[in-house]
Amino acid sequence: MDNAIYVGVSRQIILEREMDITANNLANVNTVGFKFESMISNDDPATMPTLGQPPTTVNFVAGVGVARDFTEGSLVQTGSPLDVAIEGRGFFQINTPSGPRYTRDGRFRVDATGTIVDQDGDQVDGGGSIVLDPKKGPVAISATGDVSQSGQNVGKITMVNFESLSALSKDGANQFRNDSNLTPTTATASMRQGFLEQSNVDPVRQITRLIEVSRAYDSMSNMLSATDDLSTTAVQRLGAVNPS
Amino acid sequence: MQALRTAATGMAAQQLNVEVISNNIANMNTVGFKRQSAVFEDLLYQTLEQPGAQSSDQGNIVPSGVQIGAGVKAGSVYRITGQGSLTNTGNALDLAIDGQGYFQVLMPDGTTAYTRAGNFSANNQGQIVTADGYLVQPTITIPANTTNITISQTGQVQATVGGQQAPTIVGQLQLATFLNDAGLDAQGNNLFQESAASGPATAGNPGNPGYGVVMQGYTEASNVDPVSEITNLIIAQRAYEMNSKVVTTADQMLSTAVATKT
Repeated sequence: MDNAIYVGVSRQIILEREMDITANNLANVNTVGFKFESMISNDDPATMPTLGQPPTTVNFVAGVGVARDFTEGSLVQTGSPLDVAIEGRGFFQINTPSGPRYTRDGRFRVDATGTIVDQDGDQVDGGGSIVLDPKKGPVAISATGDVSQSGQNVGKITMVNFESLSALSKDGANQFRNDSNLTPTTATASMRQGFLEQSNVDPVRQITRLIEVSRAYDSMSNMLSATDDLSTTAVQRLGAVNPS
Repeated sequence: MQALRTAATGMAAQQLNVEVISNNIANMNTVGFKRQSAVFEDLLYQTLEQPGAQSSDQGNIVPSGVQIGAGVKAGSVYRITGQGSLTNTGNALDLAIDGQGYFQVLMPDGTTAYTRAGNFSANNQGQIVTADGYLVQPTITIPANTTNITISQTGQVQATVGGQQAPTIVGQLQLATFLNDAGLDAQGNNLFQESAASGPATAGNPGNPGYGVVMQGYTEASNVDPVSEITNLIIAQRAYEMNSKVVTTADQMLSTAVATKT
């Protein structure tokens, strides 16, 4: 009897998480290189001991993981020479003080020493740092990531890939962290100078998800109320000394 | 519920976006103005289940973990230092820089500021000054009775004084460049000051490698593209609306939860 309430609550907990994830997707609808996520849940069967009856199986709802959709976002032309987008599978490598991070946010700039860095001032990996000379004129970045100034090669932006993208976890600041034992491989995707990859959040889908989640939550709530009513009625009926 | 706070960060970010866009549009006709763009980054993630964690004693591995993000933050507002189009004014002391570099301006407090707004004029002593009357460095004095001023692309200032045939050289303009001019500190009035992010200024003659050339009789228009600004404004407004929808929905869910117990 109480199982119905617990099953309903297990579903509601997952729905709340799903709501949090949808809210995060919509908050990042304008974040360059953002990849949207959704909750994966499945049934979590548990066998309940029941007095005098054969045991029944109750399916709770459990969250298994967060699915990250690595579909490419649309590429938007910005014209800025240090904006780079990756077309295909691959990540830029950023050398942060806490180790390498991976990102598809290619909004680079140069720091006071001429080194190519990301928006947080961390070095963009090119097998080391890539240093530009402001006196050598415009920067050209080829599809393979080779950086050149007035025809002279000054470095190559590293582009890596992972066999399984689910090994990556999000670290905030548009970056991914690799905590698994997978080693990054060289990516074969191509870079586009002067373009940025937009967030791949599809607003219509997310708003629809929002409606679905809130309706499912409502129906679970109704079920909880109905179950509660049932118990109340049962207690009243059974407890009546002189049933009329 | 986290969703409420997450959506609030989204609304705050879009508000900042609109503020930056409105400043760009307001400065659409400001000489030498460089448009800005707000940069967004996702906030920290709360890890509920570590990716790769074991889910059972038999060694089953959680494939992707459960991470829930806390929304979005403004990373930085950066200046896009692309060239603005050159507008012909015909005024002899209107100068535009085609390429890299900034004019150097001596501020009243003795510091040097940098500008791309070359709508200069001469003050009562014949010195070349900015629209606000600050001296352009190095100081160049136009002699009295000058009938014609010629400024070459390399910044040489020549004046033809009344009664003389040949023009005389009265000064040489210099430009300053920075390793990272997007890191300059904006002071308002089209002026910038050097900062730790921009690196120190390197002065040189126009036309040298790495320096732009000076165009006499032109000013550099702002590099704001109205069409893209308006498009960005629409995107920002819709994104704001969507985040407010999340707030409403999260609120409804909470009220449903409260209403369960009658």
